Amino acid sequence: MRKRGTALALTIAVTAALASTVGSASAASQAISCKKTLKIGFISPLTGGAGFLGEQQVSWVDLAVKQLTPAGLKIKVVRVDTPVEKGASEGLIAAQKLIADPTVVAVIGPATSGAVAAATQAMFDAGLAHISPSATRTSLTKGDKKEGTPAFFRVVPGDYIQGPTDANFMVDKLGAKKVVVIDFQEPYSAGLADAAEAVLKKRGVSTTRLSTSVTTTDFSSLVTKVSSDTDIVFFPAQQPADANTFAQQLIEQGKKAKVFGGDGTNDPSAFKVAGSYVSNFAPDITGYAHTKALVEAWKADNPSEKTVGSFGPPGYLAAQVAINAINLACNAGGGSIADRREVLRRVKKISVKQSILGIDFKFSTKSNDPLNAKFYIFQIQSDGSYKLVG
Amino acid sequence: MSDERDDTQPTGPALGKDEWVARFGANRVRRSGALGVLEQRLATVSWWAWLTLFVAVIAALPLGIESGYVRRVAFDTVVLMLLALGLNIVVGWGGLLDLGFVAFYGVGAYAYALLASDHSGIHLPSILLIPLVAVIGALAGWLVGLPSRRLLGDYLAIVTLFFFQIFLTVTNNGDNVFGASITNGPNGLLNIDPLSFFGWTIPRSTSEGLFNVAYIYVALAFFGVVYVALRFVNESRTGRAWRSLREDPLAAEMMGMPVNRLKLLAFAFGAGVAALTGTFASALNGSVFPQNFEFPLLITVYTIVILGGQGSQVGVVLGAVIVSVLLEVLRDANDARSLFYVALVLGLYGAFRASTRLVVVLGGTIVLGFVLRTVAGAIDGSWTAGTAEDAGRAAHLAAEWVIVPLEPARWLAPAAYLVLVTLVLGLTLVGGRLRLAALVPTLYLAAFVWENVLLAKPEATRYIVIGVILVGLMIVRPNGLLGEKRVEIV
Amino acid sequence: MDVFLQLTLNGLTLGSVYALIALGYSLVYGILKLLNFAHGDVFTVGAFVGFGALQLLGGVAHPAVPIWLLLVLITLAAMAVCAVLGVAIERFAYRPLRDAPRIAPLISALGVSFFLAYSLQLLFGADQRDYDAFNLGSGVLFMTGFTIPGTEVRVPLLRIVVILCAFALMVVLWLLVTRTKTGKAMTATSIDREAAAMMGINVDRVIVFAFVLGSALAGAAGVLFGLRAPFYPSLGFLVGLKGFTAAVIGGIGSIPGAMAGGLILGFAEAYTQGYVSTRWSDLIVFVILVTFMLFRPQGLFGKADIKKV
Repeated sequence: MRKRGTALALTIAVTAALASTVGSASAASQAISCKKTLKIGFISPLTGGAGFLGEQQVSWVDLAVKQLTPAGLKIKVVRVDTPVEKGASEGLIAAQKLIADPTVVAVIGPATSGAVAAATQAMFDAGLAHISPSATRTSLTKGDKKEGTPAFFRVVPGDYIQGPTDANFMVDKLGAKKVVVIDFQEPYSAGLADAAEAVLKKRGVSTTRLSTSVTTTDFSSLVTKVSSDTDIVFFPAQQPADANTFAQQLIEQGKKAKVFGGDGTNDPSAFKVAGSYVSNFAPDITGYAHTKALVEAWKADNPSEKTVGSFGPPGYLAAQVAINAINLACNAGGGSIADRREVLRRVKKISVKQSILGIDFKFSTKSNDPLNAKFYIFQIQSDGSYKLVG
Repeated sequence: MSDERDDTQPTGPALGKDEWVARFGANRVRRSGALGVLEQRLATVSWWAWLTLFVAVIAALPLGIESGYVRRVAFDTVVLMLLALGLNIVVGWGGLLDLGFVAFYGVGAYAYALLASDHSGIHLPSILLIPLVAVIGALAGWLVGLPSRRLLGDYLAIVTLFFFQIFLTVTNNGDNVFGASITNGPNGLLNIDPLSFFGWTIPRSTSEGLFNVAYIYVALAFFGVVYVALRFVNESRTGRAWRSLREDPLAAEMMGMPVNRLKLLAFAFGAGVAALTGTFASALNGSVFPQNFEFPLLITVYTIVILGGQGSQVGVVLGAVIVSVLLEVLRDANDARSLFYVALVLGLYGAFRASTRLVVVLGGTIVLGFVLRTVAGAIDGSWTAGTAEDAGRAAHLAAEWVIVPLEPARWLAPAAYLVLVTLVLGLTLVGGRLRLAALVPTLYLAAFVWENVLLAKPEATRYIVIGVILVGLMIVRPNGLLGEKRVEIV
Repeated sequence: MDVFLQLTLNGLTLGSVYALIALGYSLVYGILKLLNFAHGDVFTVGAFVGFGALQLLGGVAHPAVPIWLLLVLITLAAMAVCAVLGVAIERFAYRPLRDAPRIAPLISALGVSFFLAYSLQLLFGADQRDYDAFNLGSGVLFMTGFTIPGTEVRVPLLRIVVILCAFALMVVLWLLVTRTKTGKAMTATSIDREAAAMMGINVDRVIVFAFVLGSALAGAAGVLFGLRAPFYPSLGFLVGLKGFTAAVIGGIGSIPGAMAGGLILGFAEAYTQGYVSTRWSDLIVFVILVTFMLFRPQGLFGKADIKKV
């Protein structure tokens, strides 16, 4: 019986510990002083199979906060991990945690489309703007069954641009007659593959859809299924190493098909089989004069990273939008923000001249998508460099 | 359960127990003084009073604390408690290593989602749906148990693990079963109905977007019912039969127990509880995805059951609270830091009590820290110029004592981590003065690694801690905090 | 015909890696009756060690030694590190539990598996990595080789290396177990541990030996896998599961069984992906296995377990 006494004591102690660590923060809508530290939430997978995504993004978000926080404001980034292995519902859990803290005035993320779908309603109810640097599912901002709420924004264009851009390029420029489309049984590739396949079919291209598990890395039997008269394999993997391996195994088995990867495979240090194609939302941020200083600053902060991945820079832009909106709200409120909605209302109006992604950034008036965003297509050269071809 | 018996009264050798174990309570020195009296008084309080108190404490939590974060964690903790209670039936009572347990949680969540959402167009009322799903879950458990029941130990583990993988494959690919979308694949099912009873819907969040407390109460109500029901089951004939099955299946069979039926019952009960938990979890989340039910969750639930003590209901509930809070605390660098140093000091105190050795080790470590940091700083300023993770006074203090390099070389983290693991393992092999002497640098290295490597990636650290708990517990205290001590008589 | 041959080749390559992993499970299970869940993660550690060794030797672009020596060296490095790791796991996680209830070491194994996988992630990140063997010696491993006569199926050098290396290791293991004294002691211990101990066999040493062999094979398998496909910290669990499955198909505890099981599994995967469905291949493979275990739990080469009371 002594055990039970101990048990109870422990339980109470632990509960008390939990209560004390969190503090009794009240989330009632009271004005938030801009003199205090304001927080920006960051929701992305930081561990698990997609951990690289959050790691890349957060390094750029941190850089943006460091560089762009206006004088007089203090901004801190609160990271919440949503490993894809634990499901998109983690997005909602993360959102609820951030909503609970009244000094969180904007959110970068959620990174994955599933997490956005799970979390957006709660954040809308709380008036919390969430700006995703990587959720590209079309139905988040478009269509009859729109999944995103008006509080959801994204700084990268959705699959509705990338899929068709890629597909049209295959038909118009590459003259593809036969295309194999592959997905990896996870939302990102499934969405892109669907979007591209639809256009290809409409334009009379013969398509074959293959599907493999995201945990697979030896693709030799998939490669065997690619018939020898196939022109292109559309391969929207999240990991550039996968696309690289697939392209190598195509060569190994003597297939003439070329790999066409999505923005997830855009990484000159990991995907470098000559002749392959890659699409991305930015021409190459290291190629602009105006981003040179940014890239240098980022490299100084992240000495262990070899290359600028493709998922990171949109994080900078998303943070830039959030910080500008917070600043506007603070100025309008005379040193305090009456409500998170004050920030949310201003996000839509933000525009960034010569953004990190190359274009002048602005939200579309019709949906919370970036205006004039387009995708760029590169061909990998024999020296491993990416040449802009469309 | 052993905690029912009054340990302080010497009784004869209890049935089925080794005599030494039976007399263990009596052999223990009774505490004297006020504490001892209090302990004896506490011992007379009955179990349902404790249960009521426990439920009341959790129920009162959201009243005092408005933070939606605490509410969410409280809800998740109750979900973990229920899962642990369910797994406890299979593993703790039945002694069956079921590695597919989380799949039944998934079955429950998906069944609820399919029968109450726009996806299928069916909207059953919760009052009907929840019992229905629990039965579906139990049936699924029964079916998985059916072919597996002849298998023992490891084979059972692997077959259930396969069922788990099959569940994941099916849900992941269920968006295209001969063209029809059943589970909507990796995109998951969205817009699931919230709970509604008699036409009264419980919204998920308040108008301000805060977590709706009602869901904690619903979960607690289920917890109370399941706890009490299982308690009665455990004390019934079936419960006793399960335990004899766990101790020695062969002997149980010889005694004429329907071993197969008992195994199936254990599977069905466990699966039913898991499926029940899945219903209100998916009602609260409003969405289900295949990835909600992956391997890390299974390991977490196992850790809870092992830590709390297999077979003890109180134990696994306690385990759920500890593990859930632990995982949350490890999320935040500042809290994790405090926890680490407190745990370190407590651990040392536990090992040495208040003795000179404690003073020597603690003092030695502190001095060593300052000396090393000064030396390192003198050699190269950048070695100590870094800032510890997260701001705050504790971080500041830690950085004054631990070497935190500004830009650590890439090999430093792996090397330090490996050396630490080697040292800790080595410490278990040596004894006496050598151990005492080696303890000091190990402790300092542990602090160094904690500040520079582990705190930088709290996400991986959380699961490393889980892994260490599992292995350590199995070796040091396989019966967990409150589990029954098992003596194998050979 | 071409497709069939190509799939067979795919299955053979994959299967020989599975077989190496399966052997480790089988050796340990045969002696300790312990399902070593951490084995798959030892495999991943092997892949990472090989990767590290490759970088130390100058990387793919500028290897410091000839390619054949490079391959030998990284394989040996992975085998050595994994052997040490295996011994450590046995010593610290399993030996204290040798006389505990059966469930205890299993749970300890799950803990070790978790610990290893997340330690790798802590130290090296969650990104996928590959050896980039394609660019080694300007593509010699992929571009040279031979074409199967009468078909267009090419067998590149890398596949020959992987398959031959795997089989060579299996042969070495077979000789070690059947021809050496320690090997015979292993067989004796696996039949009856107590009787073996009474006959003067040092059971602890035999168990350590089994872990050394099994883990070294897993390390080699990690390198052979890494030469052909990317890997990441949490890969070990799934690959380990397949390796274990292979061991069960062949009859756990039996060395030829593990080899056969690995190959069968490799072929099963390749053919289902090639002829049936890429989408459902995992499901089909798992269903076949469950059925197999239910109807012939002792495997192809195993003997039915008769329980003595």
